[in-house]
Amino acid sequence: MSMRSTAVALLSISALPAVGAQTSFEYCTVCHGANGNGNVAIHAPKIAGIEPWYLKNQFAAFRAGWRGAHADDAPGNEMRPVAAILTDAEIERALGYVASFSPRSPAITVSGDVAHGKELYSACAACHGAAAQGNAALHAPALSGRTDWYLVTQLRNYRAGLRGANAADSNGQQMRAMAATLTDDAALNDVVAYINTLR
Amino acid sequence: MIPAFTRRRFLNLVGAAGGSAAVYQMAMGLGLVPVVARADRPDLAPLRANQRRTVVILGAGISGLTSAYELGRKGYQVIILEASHRAGGRNLTLRHGDLIDEIGNPRRCEFDPDPDLYFNAGPARIPGHHTALLGYCRELGVALEPFINDNRDAWVHDQALFGGRRVRNRDYITDTRGFIAELAAKSIKPQDLEAPLTRADYEQVLAYLRQLGDLDQNFKYRGSLRAGMAVHDPSAPDVLKQPLDIHELLQSKFMNLMSFGEMDDQAAMMMQPVGGMDQVPAGFLRKVGHNLRLHAQVEAVQLRERGVRIVYHMNGTRSVIDADYCLNCIPMHLMSGIEHNFPADYAAGLSAVPRGRLFKIGFQMKERFWEREHIYGGISWTTQDIQQIWYPPHGIHRQKGVMLGAYTFGEATGEMFARLTHPQRLQLAIQQAEKLHPGYGSYVENGVSIPWVRMNNMLGCAAAWSVELRNQWYRLLQAPTGNHYIIGDQMSYLPGWQEGAMYSAFHALADIDLRERQTAPSAAA
Ligand SMILES: Cc1cc2nc3c(=O)[nH]c(=O)nc-3n(C[C@H](O)[C@H](O)[C@H](O)COP(=O)(O)OP(=O)(O)OC[C@H]3O[C@@H](n4cnc5c(N)ncnc54)[C@H](O)[C@@H]3O)c2cc1C
Ligand code: HEC
Ligand code: HEC
Repeated sequence: MSMRSTAVALLSISALPAVGAQTSFEYCTVCHGANGNGNVAIHAPKIAGIEPWYLKNQFAAFRAGWRGAHADDAPGNEMRPVAAILTDAEIERALGYVASFSPRSPAITVSGDVAHGKELYSACAACHGAAAQGNAALHAPALSGRTDWYLVTQLRNYRAGLRGANAADSNGQQMRAMAATLTDDAALNDVVAYINTLR
Repeated sequence: MIPAFTRRRFLNLVGAAGGSAAVYQMAMGLGLVPVVARADRPDLAPLRANQRRTVVILGAGISGLTSAYELGRKGYQVIILEASHRAGGRNLTLRHGDLIDEIGNPRRCEFDPDPDLYFNAGPARIPGHHTALLGYCRELGVALEPFINDNRDAWVHDQALFGGRRVRNRDYITDTRGFIAELAAKSIKPQDLEAPLTRADYEQVLAYLRQLGDLDQNFKYRGSLRAGMAVHDPSAPDVLKQPLDIHELLQSKFMNLMSFGEMDDQAAMMMQPVGGMDQVPAGFLRKVGHNLRLHAQVEAVQLRERGVRIVYHMNGTRSVIDADYCLNCIPMHLMSGIEHNFPADYAAGLSAVPRGRLFKIGFQMKERFWEREHIYGGISWTTQDIQQIWYPPHGIHRQKGVMLGAYTFGEATGEMFARLTHPQRLQLAIQQAEKLHPGYGSYVENGVSIPWVRMNNMLGCAAAWSVELRNQWYRLLQAPTGNHYIIGDQMSYLPGWQEGAMYSAFHALADIDLRERQTAPSAAA
């Protein structure tokens, strides 16, 4: 009796399309928010408008375990399996998908001493550009218009060796050396507060 | 026209200036917001013949499906947008061939095709006092059967206890109670009794302790039938087990778990739907399935003068729906990444509450070996990462069974398992379970692992409210902003239970009903 009613009920649920979930290159918005504009609750930054070469570099870094493998890096650990599962062809499609996003200017959440930040930023401009517009030739991404809390996290990660610690990661290693010059948390906030003024 | 619009519009202006907390307080002042203290399943006023109300429901979780059913019955036009390939949300039952949609790790469930070989990866048990859920089961024809949640014949394992030797749950509980009762009987003196007890009650207190611990005439604990016999041999006289060493027993952290099955919502006997917990969403879908759109990922929620506008993405195209009301069970930690024009403080609340990290493993076992160990249902406990092993109460004496091989609540353990690969998770679970069931690994045919924090479109479990967060955000987020309502177990005092999800829907529905009733007489005239 009860077996019979189960079978009927099972039928009605398997009548729903059971397969055909999102292909993984479209997962991005679940974590990075609608249009890839970031979601602070997941610690996933804005990726809308990100440079395609920089995105590729980061996928390579996550795949190699240069990012997202350290025990103390919870958000990086969350991103890493996504990068790990995508084939090169899917990464190309993901680039196209990310390029379709409409970028928005993210909310300003970091405050600090802008004047001091400006002083500090003079050391950064060589690579990231005076307007923080980035420099492809130096593999340094744009920093303006990005989710500011994420920039602070990354500077902290570099300093703590959660990123840029692997000898094979030459881009990350360069940046890690630079982050080491920002000696305290206040300096991190100051420089990011200044970057916020460059939008 | 949307009821109470002009006054609400005024409130939206207040909202623009002062945030939705201001709106809420102002609205209470105007007597606009019904302070629905407790809303049991509401009896919504049916819409009148010429009246049209559209409601868009975001997420086909239990609260969304409950809302769709209640509204649809009363003439509201309902549409449910669900991002996933399936309805049900956290209510997930895995069977042969099902997709396990873990981000970065999608796989198929390899159980044999068989109605008893399923795994409830989310909810699995229903307490007898969850009357809303039980009521829907009755109404929707969802057959229930007993679920066994507590079993004194199951095992307890703790490395700190007898060097990790497993003991029966009944041994631990009987022997510790016996020794502690003996100790209490020895120590309490008539003159120690405090009001409302008096010296005259002394004999009764001793009688209670004797009963509690199964003590002998001299208030000594010498073992008890409750711990079971040394051997079960009906052809020979009873021989009691020797009591275990109380010093060892008291070292065990199992102390903190021994009353699990005595809790109000974890009773020994609970219920499960015959054939899997997803018979609950299946029951709702028989009523509202025609209103469901799968693969529909919501991208934007815009409050408008007259209702709510939703933008969603489906099969590569963007579509817009304008509706009078929106009931939203998308987890708040995901909603915070979706575009919206909510008041700033309401928006801030969305990312304020942390997400839970529950984790489960299910194994298909080629033999129901536990039945040979006299275990038919219930839970074994271990202080290792896997924490629990459950034995299926259905399919008894069949050849195979699907058992639960790990269920963890802790933040750190959940994260630890999430970071392992699927095969590593199974391996660790087998290795740990060997301590409770030697040879366990040899029975495993295949397994499923479900780290809720990594599951597509969920990324976590019920909102982990603290008292401080509740005080700060709960009322604000529970109240509507414009015609938008947050629902889901996240918006209840019972997160982590489907009953809580249903009550969140009742609260929102009662509010909508009140708004509709307030305008009904004039509108109808
Ligand atoms: C491991 C575990 C054990 C549990 N045990 C029990 C139990 O024994 N008994 C019990 O009663 N309860 C139990 N629960 C709790 C129960 O599962 C929940 O209370 C209930 O299922 C929550 O329903 P909900 O309405 O809040 O929606 P959810 O299940 O949270 O659903 C949210 C929905 O929103 C969808 N969504 C997300 N993003 C979007 C988007 N952008 N667009 C459209 N849709 C979107 C999701 O795909 C999902 O379907 C358990 C939960 C877990 C995880
Ligand atoms: C499970 C959630 C999740 C999914 C799905 C996800 N990401 Fe991420 N992603 C994150 C998190 C969290 C971070 C931040 C990591 C950190 O703090 O180091 C991140 C970081 C990134 C970065 C680094 C950004 C930077 O400025 O260095 C890129 C690029 C990225 N993700 C792209 C993508 C793309 C493209 C997709 C879809 C194919 C995607 N992500 C899917 C969670 C996710
Ligand atoms: C020598 C060149 C160089 C200088 C100088 C430099 N950076 Fe970088 N920075 C890089 C490179 C290259 C990367 C990308 C690393 C990678 O690919 O992993 C980077 C990455 C970053 C990131 C991470 C961005 C993201 O999206 O994850 C931040 C934040 C950052 N830099 C901030 C700064 C600040 C602040 C300064 C000044 C104190 C600075 N950088 C100076 C080269 C530089």
